[in-house]
Amino acid sequence: MTVEGEFSGRQPFFEEEGLDLEEKCKDVLVRDIMITDPVTIKGEDHVEKIFDLFNKEHFHTYPVVDENGDLLGIIDQNTILQLLLTRRVSRLDHTHLMAVRSLSQSARGIMIPHPVTITSDMTLCEIAETMIKHKVERFCVVDEKKLVGIVCKSDVIQAIYSSRS
Amino acid sequence: MMEFLFQILVILLAARLLSEVSERVGMPGILGEILAGLLLGLLIVEETEAIASVAELGAIFLLFTAGYKEVHIEDLKASSKKAIVATFFQIAAAFVAGFALGRFFEFGFVESLFLAVAFSPTSIGVVVKTLLDMGYLSSKPGSMMLTSAIFDDIIGIFLLSIVVTVGKYNAFPTATQFMLLLGKLVFFIGIMVILGYRVFPYIFNYVQKMHSKESIFAAVVLIALFSAYFAEIMELDAVIGAFIGGVMLSNVPVAKINDIQSKVSGLAYGILVPIFFAHIGMAVELEALNTLGSFTILVVVLALLGKLIGGFVGAKAIGFDSYESFIFGSGVMPRAGVELVVISIGREMGIIGDEIFSAVVLMVAVSIIISPIILKFAIQKDKQKDTSTPVG
Repeated sequence: MTVEGEFSGRQPFFEEEGLDLEEKCKDVLVRDIMITDPVTIKGEDHVEKIFDLFNKEHFHTYPVVDENGDLLGIIDQNTILQLLLTRRVSRLDHTHLMAVRSLSQSARGIMIPHPVTITSDMTLCEIAETMIKHKVERFCVVDEKKLVGIVCKSDVIQAIYSSRS
Repeated sequence: MMEFLFQILVILLAARLLSEVSERVGMPGILGEILAGLLLGLLIVEETEAIASVAELGAIFLLFTAGYKEVHIEDLKASSKKAIVATFFQIAAAFVAGFALGRFFEFGFVESLFLAVAFSPTSIGVVVKTLLDMGYLSSKPGSMMLTSAIFDDIIGIFLLSIVVTVGKYNAFPTATQFMLLLGKLVFFIGIMVILGYRVFPYIFNYVQKMHSKESIFAAVVLIALFSAYFAEIMELDAVIGAFIGGVMLSNVPVAKINDIQSKVSGLAYGILVPIFFAHIGMAVELEALNTLGSFTILVVVLALLGKLIGGFVGAKAIGFDSYESFIFGSGVMPRAGVELVVISIGREMGIIGDEIFSAVVLMVAVSIIISPIILKFAIQKDKQKDTSTPVG
């Protein structure tokens, strides 16, 4: 198969439709596409309960919130895998922080604090750009410290795709 | 240029290869990296200014990543007062041992002080694997070691700032000079805290919207360099600034995106830090070790014993039994990072000579090899005690 054959047959996407899509994306806000009731973990939840959650559900990341619904941090699959197989972690990561995390019994102790967050009034364009540029897979949506939703790359793709029609 | 390229190529290649060998035999990579430098120093590579500069960047990024990746300000707040007592004892004992040894061998006051500071810190990472393997990470002494290690970093940096200032005056500072140093350090930390909480988040908010390539990564590196340079202006040392800069960035979410963390880690541990460790190895003078044979042996023995005994006494003081105290003492023995930075600064300032420098490098290497072995032995003793205790 020639290179020409591979790339012919369809007009470059970005030339026509792409420009139009960009305009449309500017009008779509995060609050329109976010998942508004994400499964959350409470700061004081026990590690076993969290393992159980990761076993039953298949989301990559869960937000950790306090009793007021304020976002404290996130727990993702990488954290869980590292906790389950701490000894397989590379020696470079044998920091006291990792060790402290592996000893913690609560969500607060094992979570990654200070995750990157976005507000619900940001546009689809803005967050898609950040996702592309900085390889971020998902964002917690926070308005005035409160977790109001979560947006992941697949939601963004779906939203852009549906804008086409 | 050609020569510089060749040197960097050879040093990095040797450091990476021997680091891998070291890891394969169950030792930390740093051991292989120092050994690579030692061999290259003996065989072909001459130490040049260009290599020394790259190595200095390695030291800066070693401490920057320590602050950026490993310190959480919240951890300090949560740490117990008990840990401060145990930490104080093990650091004080090692410090006194180092200073007394230097004076005994008639080294100068400042030189002895550098030796004392090089004796003081602990690199807990070396024994984490042993604790994990033996299932003792969650034990009382295990968790105390971890808390102690957090204070260790902070105290190590504080001691380093003092010793660097003392080095500049080449005498113990007068009360006024000491207050001036403290003032500068407080001023520096104060400015960095304001930057960390007020300015950096604002900068990163802007940087993440920039169109130029790798803007966030570049901003993180720039802040590392800025913090190091700012510390130098304040007559502190660059590495102190880098560490504090790293700590200040650790709370800025955008700066800690996984992708950025792995790039910073790649730059530091993939390139610069191995060159720093190899450069340390290159600077070791085997002849110097020979001429002062008994001194070298005492550096190794006292540095290890200082921590072991200091840790033992400290742990006893907070109510641990003898077995647990032995475990704690042996766990705080390893040195692998800050101490090498201390002696390389001392050497660069022309304060410490080849004898102390080479002996401390040897001490670091021995501590890396021997600490896990002694810790394992201590844990086995503790386990034997538990099984021999009659039930009921």
